[in-house]
Amino acid sequence: MSEDVDFDVIVVGGGVAGTVCAYRLAEAGHEVLLIERGAEPGSKNLSGGVFYCRVLAEVFPDFVDRAPVERRITRNVLSFLNDDSHVNVDYWDTRLADPVNAVTVLRAKLDPWLSAECEQAGVVVMPGVRVDGLLQEDGRFVGVRAGEDELRCHVVVAADGVNSFLAQAAGVRAKEPPGHLAVGVKSVIGLPRTVLEDRFRVSGDEGVAYAVVGDCTQGVAGGGFLYTNLDSVSVGVVLRLDDLQAAGLSSSDLHDHFLAHPAVEPLLRGGELLEYGCHLTIEDGPAMAAHDLTRPGLLVIGDAGGFTLNTGLTIRGMDLAAGSAIAAATAASAALAAGDFSQQAMDGYLRELEGSFVSADLRTYARAPGFLENPRLYTGYGQLLADVLHGVYDHDLTPRRHLVPGALSALKASGLRIDQLVRDGWAAARAL
Amino acid sequence: MRVVVVYKWARNPTDALVRSDGSIDWRNARMTAGEDDPAALAAAFAIAAGSDGEVLGLTIGDGDASWALARGVERAWSVADAPSLVDNAATAAILAAAVRHLGEVDVVVIGDSRQDAGVPVALAGELGWPALVGLTSATTVDGRLQAARKVGGAAQTVLLPTPAVVGIAAEADVDRAPGMKELLAARKRPLTRLSLAELGVAPDDPESLGCAKPDSTPARVFAGEPAETAAQLVAALRSEGVL
Repeated sequence: MSEDVDFDVIVVGGGVAGTVCAYRLAEAGHEVLLIERGAEPGSKNLSGGVFYCRVLAEVFPDFVDRAPVERRITRNVLSFLNDDSHVNVDYWDTRLADPVNAVTVLRAKLDPWLSAECEQAGVVVMPGVRVDGLLQEDGRFVGVRAGEDELRCHVVVAADGVNSFLAQAAGVRAKEPPGHLAVGVKSVIGLPRTVLEDRFRVSGDEGVAYAVVGDCTQGVAGGGFLYTNLDSVSVGVVLRLDDLQAAGLSSSDLHDHFLAHPAVEPLLRGGELLEYGCHLTIEDGPAMAAHDLTRPGLLVIGDAGGFTLNTGLTIRGMDLAAGSAIAAATAASAALAAGDFSQQAMDGYLRELEGSFVSADLRTYARAPGFLENPRLYTGYGQLLADVLHGVYDHDLTPRRHLVPGALSALKASGLRIDQLVRDGWAAARAL
Repeated sequence: MRVVVVYKWARNPTDALVRSDGSIDWRNARMTAGEDDPAALAAAFAIAAGSDGEVLGLTIGDGDASWALARGVERAWSVADAPSLVDNAATAAILAAAVRHLGEVDVVVIGDSRQDAGVPVALAGELGWPALVGLTSATTVDGRLQAARKVGGAAQTVLLPTPAVVGIAAEADVDRAPGMKELLAARKRPLTRLSLAELGVAPDDPESLGCAKPDSTPARVFAGEPAETAAQLVAALRSEGVL
């Protein structure tokens, strides 16, 4: 470490992106300060999520066994939910447990663990500090300011979440338009472990995750989600901000409506509300991450950089956060070794990203947000599916028809047109 | 003067959730210093500043004990394996043993908390020192310990002999979040962990037989027209034998 800096790298934000980046840099022998605004790491997060954790294998080889994970997801349910019916695609596969692909986590447990790993690796972890701004000299970012104190470093890593005031203040990002953002409203409902395992047909440390479209959002673009923790269920809705505003509905009402839905309520019955809250999240990650992510002496990672993907089937944030953190740590390490913190050196991060699954997946799903704007997804198709199946199973003593004519007459009754169906099917095939 | 400030670093009881069956959920409770501790720390510094002395930190229980170190205390001790006790006298015995362990001490300043109201006085008893609690501030004037307290509506100033235990009750929230440089400095300051065995104390605590929600008085609400509800209220009071 040279004379004029307090640390080689200062990472702002102690979530998945910030801790993974800080850990990697400390492991590489750099002096790292990790500043977290909350009193404890994880305290600014809302409960948790499904973490597609394979990316962490290169950082913590035994992550799944050592980290406080809740359940290993081996069952995924895609649910088309209507007012009084639902059609589910229920996919269970033991291959998803070996190797473990996705786990549910509660951030109040995971983040302190990640933070402790950082401390062990030599990171100076400093919770309870809100960074007010960045220090800039000759067009380069050289440190952070909090209150009256300033600390200097060679590289600042902004991992300060979806609202990233640092990235906005640095002119890297403008304020996001509401169409790029969504609001998540979530409850964590405690259930005795045996009750939970019986209800969701899971055993041991395996778990299930539901992605729900349709009546859960009453037509607002977005969806419902539900996943099992060890002895609790996280359940709620994600609603695209602009559509929510246009619909004039309240996010908490939609959350309550979903939890009270006859298809959902029995899963939660008798449970104890442990946590309830809302959080801003990213709806159109590909559009957001298309912003700049670097400035001389500055790297923007995780949610701050827009690294979230909603494909309709899966919502991914933590794995992309970790992927962007690994790329940033590699680039910062190279910059420190070369003593070069210019724009070009920082752009090493973009080159690392380009070679990783993060950029590849953002490109693959670049059309997904556009596809998910289709209102028919939230209103028409679930009902159509249910009507087709109703035709199959409802033996009302009228002469039976083959599946295809039955489906066509359901389509006709639905008001959806076959060209729309074809177009949407084609769009789905290209977007997802 | 050599001043020891005793502070508490524990899960905030006001954050704890009491479930319907009376059990207590500490999951969302944050670690925090006692609510009177910032005022006690300010008094400790005022006493030390007036006498060219030093302030030592002392806490019990596990957890991050660097609260005082980030707020200007140069050295701190923690009795890490001391349990959270119901018995204030037992807590005081642990603290007294730790104070004796620190050698010559002139003043022990402690937050006069409502949750552990008996600790300061029991601590003074253990040490055989005088105690004054419910103080609003303390300082040193001409080498003598001087404190302020409220008596009825009046503010009284008192002189205390040393050694002494002074209990400070906060009048306002005076805690201030330490800055980044103070937090970094705190990491370099020594925090010594003591054990109960080292101090030769073996605390005993009353056995808890479990918790339940306290019985609440049943409430009846009379709704409707004012004249009607008033009549219902009077009738109810009559039938209960109140009137």
